[in-house]
Amino acid sequence: MTATALSRGAGNPRSPGERFGKHVLFTCAALSALLGAAVIVVVALETVRFFGRVSPARFFGGLTWAPLAEEPGFGVLPLIAGTAQIAAGATFLALPVGLLTAVFLRYYAGGRTASVLNAVVTLLACIPAVVYGYFALNYVTPAIRSVWPGVEGFNGISACLVVGLMILPTIVLLSREALGAVPNSLLEEGVALGATRRRVLVRLVVPAAAVGIAGSVVMAAARAVGETMIVTLAAGNPTGPTWNPLEGVRTLTTFLAQASLGDIPTGSIEYGACFAVAAVLFLLTCGMHAAGRALMARGQRGTLGAVRL
Amino acid sequence: MGVAAALVTMSALILLTGVLLVEAREVLDWRFFLDPPSRVAAEGGVGPAVAGSLWLTFLVAAIAVPLGVGTAVYLAEYAPPTRLVKAVESVLTNLAGVPSVVYGIAGLALFVRGLGLGPSILAGALTLTALTVPLVVVNCRKALQAVPDEFRWAAFGLGASRWQVVRDQVLPAAAPALLAGCCAALLRAVGAAAPLLMLGAVSFTTFAPGSPNDPLTALPTQIFAWAARPREGFLALAAGASVALLLLMAAMHLVLFAHRRRQKGTWS
Repeated sequence: MTATALSRGAGNPRSPGERFGKHVLFTCAALSALLGAAVIVVVALETVRFFGRVSPARFFGGLTWAPLAEEPGFGVLPLIAGTAQIAAGATFLALPVGLLTAVFLRYYAGGRTASVLNAVVTLLACIPAVVYGYFALNYVTPAIRSVWPGVEGFNGISACLVVGLMILPTIVLLSREALGAVPNSLLEEGVALGATRRRVLVRLVVPAAAVGIAGSVVMAAARAVGETMIVTLAAGNPTGPTWNPLEGVRTLTTFLAQASLGDIPTGSIEYGACFAVAAVLFLLTCGMHAAGRALMARGQRGTLGAVRL
Repeated sequence: MGVAAALVTMSALILLTGVLLVEAREVLDWRFFLDPPSRVAAEGGVGPAVAGSLWLTFLVAAIAVPLGVGTAVYLAEYAPPTRLVKAVESVLTNLAGVPSVVYGIAGLALFVRGLGLGPSILAGALTLTALTVPLVVVNCRKALQAVPDEFRWAAFGLGASRWQVVRDQVLPAAAPALLAGCCAALLRAVGAAAPLLMLGAVSFTTFAPGSPNDPLTALPTQIFAWAARPREGFLALAAGASVALLLLMAAMHLVLFAHRRRQKGTWS
């Protein structure tokens, strides 16, 4: 701040520049809040309208999902089961690789290795889902089928593998953050007591970061729940409910992607069904994100209570 | 064990990019980036899709970035700790984690049908804006919170007003992190296929969109349309379109970080 600025009274809270800044920023915040509220309100309104025609009991209790059939079924449970199947499989595959990569990145990798690995993880995080989906359908699935001919062209295994790859960066980056909250002295003291580095990491450091790591896993699983393009391309959308991962899987997101929404007339029952499914997806991912954030925050405060030698 | 996991991560990326480049090598030439898609696979190109993605990038960057950064600055530096402000904060934080497909369905109701924009570039840009703003806000709030409070106290102590503190101290100190946060959010918007698909994006159009009112077409939806076709020639086209999308994202990254070397200031 210069003397001229002072003499012009630029620092005066009532000066035009001062008020301009504040008003512009306030307008930005108001518009952002409005946009966010519009998204929530439109999904909520259409869902409520849908529940006026299909009772929530039928929606949450029914066991068939067939909005277009002659005797339409609006039970969302099969879709949730499919989503859980893909998300659990992907997280199960991504957790060991992601956690070990995070440990390697924090405790073993030297300067150059670490920066290369960091760049690789960041690049994996940047690749669009539809590119992953293309990869899953046209390369991963044929590779699986060449070893295991019983697998169908659209299958849950390929989707799980590639969704797992997509959520890998989330686990690596957030787990590393969780590991960062563990004080370095813990490792040093353990090694000073004569334990090997590896033993200290496995028995002390990782358990000490367990809460934060759990948070990273929940966040990654939330991303898997919302993943649309990979699952739609790789796992297709069979009409019946399936429980077999060798066949196609039907999830909340694949239903939305394949409903070819652009052609559905506004106000039809299928249009409402799409919004109800979107609302379920919304609440599910919001809840998982909130839980993940809470766990990560608790991990940052440090929980050495979990450690046992 | 750790090395093995790191190698798995690295080889996944190498495999993915390698496959894309090998598969796309037949189609990648200048004609491919300019021509429209065709029923004959060998003659197809990504011209309209590239133009659509450029439009979307430009519009989203022009709307979502100022809106999101302004919101983050207001929330971090100005907002009183009232219940309303806290509610807005938590809504935006939660929205940042909502899957993109939900924005697609909301965009269909709000912009395509509500505002009567139809499946146009503008409707796509507004939908992607709704998706991007929460991400920009969350990323930028983190960047602003990382600026030490001593910066603010020192400037206030010298008699600076709040706007002067924000403009002359906080924003310059947070600039690299703000830029990185906006870049990450924009890259996600450019690569998003699901919301555009929900709006009714076209994947077969013979002319490149020349205005925001033209039909919505973009690289991610084009990749989806080609990747879902099992026939041989279209796979190469999907790979080529993927390479085009990754190139566009790399170009955005380069443009945004062209000044990075100069801005490399740190505080301890």
